[in-house]
Amino acid sequence: MPLGVEVRVLIAFFTLTLLGLPPGSSLAGPPVPGISEISGTIRGGEARVRFTLRNAFTPEMVEALKSGIEISFKITVEVERVYRRWFNRPMGQVRYTRSVRYDALSRVYRLHRDDGDELLADVLAALDRMTRFEVVVPVTGGVEKGKPYRARVRARLDKVGLSEPLRSIFFFSSLWDVETDWARGNLQAP
Amino acid sequence: MGAEHAKLRRERWAIGVVAVLVAALTFFEAHLAAVGGAVTFSSNIVIFALINLNVIFVVLLIFLVTRNVFKILLDRRRNLLGAKLRSRLVLIFICFSLIPTMLLFIAATNITTTSIKSWIGGRVGQALTGAIDIARERLEEEARALSPAAESAAAGLLGTVDPASFPRVLESSRSLAPAGTALLFFEKDAEVARDGEVPPAVRAEVLTRIKAVNGDGDAKGTLIGDEFAAAWRRTPGGVIVVAVRSLPPAEAARIREITKAYDEYHQVRLLDDPIRASYVGILILITLLIVFAASWMGIYLARQITVPVQLLAEGTEEVARGNLDVSLDYRSRDEFGTLVASFNRMTADLKAMKGNLEETNASLTRTYDELRRRTAFIETILDSISTGVIVIDRHGRIAMINKVAERLLRIHTDGAVGRMYREVLREEHYEAIRSLYREAGEAAGGQVERQVELVVGETRIAFRVSLTALRDDAGEYMGLVAAFDDLSQTMRLQRVLAWREVARRIAHDIRNPLTPIQLSTERMQRKYAAVHAEDPVFAECTEAILSEVNTLKHLVDEFTRFARMPVLRVEEGDLPVEIRTVVETYRTSHPGIHWEFRQEGPPRLWFDPVQIRRAVTNLLDNAAAALGERGSVTVTCTHDESAGRARIDVADDGPGIPLGDRGRLFEPYFSRREGGTGLGLAIVSAIANDHGGTVRMRDNTPRGTVFEMEFPAHPPAMEKTGSMAPVIDDGGREI
Repeated sequence: MPLGVEVRVLIAFFTLTLLGLPPGSSLAGPPVPGISEISGTIRGGEARVRFTLRNAFTPEMVEALKSGIEISFKITVEVERVYRRWFNRPMGQVRYTRSVRYDALSRVYRLHRDDGDELLADVLAALDRMTRFEVVVPVTGGVEKGKPYRARVRARLDKVGLSEPLRSIFFFSSLWDVETDWARGNLQAP
Repeated sequence: MGAEHAKLRRERWAIGVVAVLVAALTFFEAHLAAVGGAVTFSSNIVIFALINLNVIFVVLLIFLVTRNVFKILLDRRRNLLGAKLRSRLVLIFICFSLIPTMLLFIAATNITTTSIKSWIGGRVGQALTGAIDIARERLEEEARALSPAAESAAAGLLGTVDPASFPRVLESSRSLAPAGTALLFFEKDAEVARDGEVPPAVRAEVLTRIKAVNGDGDAKGTLIGDEFAAAWRRTPGGVIVVAVRSLPPAEAARIREITKAYDEYHQVRLLDDPIRASYVGILILITLLIVFAASWMGIYLARQITVPVQLLAEGTEEVARGNLDVSLDYRSRDEFGTLVASFNRMTADLKAMKGNLEETNASLTRTYDELRRRTAFIETILDSISTGVIVIDRHGRIAMINKVAERLLRIHTDGAVGRMYREVLREEHYEAIRSLYREAGEAAGGQVERQVELVVGETRIAFRVSLTALRDDAGEYMGLVAAFDDLSQTMRLQRVLAWREVARRIAHDIRNPLTPIQLSTERMQRKYAAVHAEDPVFAECTEAILSEVNTLKHLVDEFTRFARMPVLRVEEGDLPVEIRTVVETYRTSHPGIHWEFRQEGPPRLWFDPVQIRRAVTNLLDNAAAALGERGSVTVTCTHDESAGRARIDVADDGPGIPLGDRGRLFEPYFSRREGGTGLGLAIVSAIANDHGGTVRMRDNTPRGTVFEMEFPAHPPAMEKTGSMAPVIDDGGREI
């Protein structure tokens, strides 16, 4: 039975759409952002987790930062008790935002954290502060000595602070898309 | 057809609604975007829902238009009616919209690119950099102006960290500070003393800055922000003294604007390509929308034209195929609507006319059938009567002729109808009718009847010709009817009847005196024979008288038998057996003649065997007399089942009968044979007539004579009564 007009149009339409899509991720691209060097301790009612955000800033993002565009990362840190033959038990979670913006008037980089702002004199210091984290995660439940505990961390680009006219232009599009996979690291228990 | 039309209408509505929704949603989303980042989370969800909806609608619009264009192309490939016109119109619309739109697109793209380039590559950047430098220098100068106050306060605190001394130090340093300056003392990132009012935002910013400089180890410096300027000194005791002055609101707003413009400039410079791509994308989207809208408009207008045209073409095709129940479902107020309405009215009128025509045709058919039935009835009547009839129209063409006329006049009726009667009839017959026609014209009532003798074949036959001129109600001449009655049989019968009467009277008048003559003569012989014994005259005379009387008696007996033909005694019998018996008798009595009898299967018939044997005997007697000692006679007995007639043929190869004798052959007392009474064939004719049949003579091939006697196999009168009805003469007497 011959195909109907609608079916043929649909096939042609979606074929052309697929052909018009940009090449996939199979091609070589920029370094993949990720979380590394996860370490920390857990004791009392909190876990102190340290980690480093790698490859989060592309050269274009650095240039954007220098141009006064605010860049913000949202970090999610989860702490869990690890069991070998059972499901892990979540103990606590923190969502942490850190952003940086260049103040052209005073020529400083203003780093904004949940616990306050920090002014940095150059871009290297700002990038260093934007990629090294030490996050305190309140945990529930007792911490047993010698038992395995693990921190899971993920980071993603939260927003890019464009000026108002540019916001309306790029309202439907995202300049950069940075998001890491979940990274895991063991925590030292007392 | 209606469903397809409704589907197209739904598609048009869908395209229109989707286009309107896309435009409305785009406007709404642009408006929301312009509001800025102050929208709430729920508003963001709505915006993204609207964006997705808009995308879906755009895709749907593209799909619908693409589908229609694709369908048009397919219709064109299939050579569907109206597809070429539709595709041409759509192409024209696309071209007319694409050319200006593309020009506009190129121009807008160039203008956008040029504008952006001129903005980011021109002196705007230098001006903004200069402006922000000026603002910075202005703030730093303001901060430097605050340095004496900060220096003085730091000097006042030199060597002491007693908080109790802080007010005194602030009081003493105030005179050195410009108006509106606030003095703040920080120790370990915390404010420990203050003199003057500072906006909370400025105070928080100063605190942040102090925290930042705390780790640097510097002893003094300045701080600037977009709404303040400050100078600070660190005392040996670790107290940081800050003299801060908030800028007037207007000045702070100007500096913020400069800073903002500077940031925007650098952002635009950085995002030059994405911005241009975004503008180009928007222009492409608008271009596509215009093109699709034009395409849709082209499709819509093409359908406005081609749909009614296609409907009309299909309707016309249906009408051509004879379907007048076509009613096109198309309503519009334009000319096409009027055209379709006229078409529907036309088909309705045609249907009504066709109905009337069919009704008239049925009526005509009924009339024609009735006429045919009547004509067939008339033809049957004409064919069943013994009168030949020829109907001639006003132009002299034969309108009708029956088979009797064909037989009587020896013409073929198959090709006669419609031809001029002059061409069909022989010259003599034509002249006879023409002569009678002239008489009829002069006669009252236009009718004339004459007895005419015409030569048919080789025989002159007497006809009673009746000619009647036909006239319609208005008296207009329509033609004439010629009726031919063969009088030869009638005349022959009349002659037979006359001869029978003559024979009866002769027999009656002659027989009566013959007996006294015979008796008297015999008496004279007995009485006077002895007296005149010596005289031979007496004896010769009386013997002669007695001989002639006997001859006369024999003649009278013949006349008596002829005059008193017995009444037929019809019974069912085997005709061939009866005839074979007679033939066998002659085979014995005339051994020199070859007698042959043929039988072609006649069934048992109704006839008078005595009379038939007598008739056959007479015919065989004549044949034997004609042949003399040698020759051959063939007797054939046949039966024409379709005509329902039996036939007996007696054929000899004798000398034949002269032409001049043939007309009187069956008349009584006509004989060329010496000693013949001339009653043999008359009796045959009488018997044939009594059986409702006829007897004819024709030449045999190659020589001789054939007598054909035929009569109905089942005469109606016989079937009922078993005997023939008696023959009645003109006087009502049975003969």
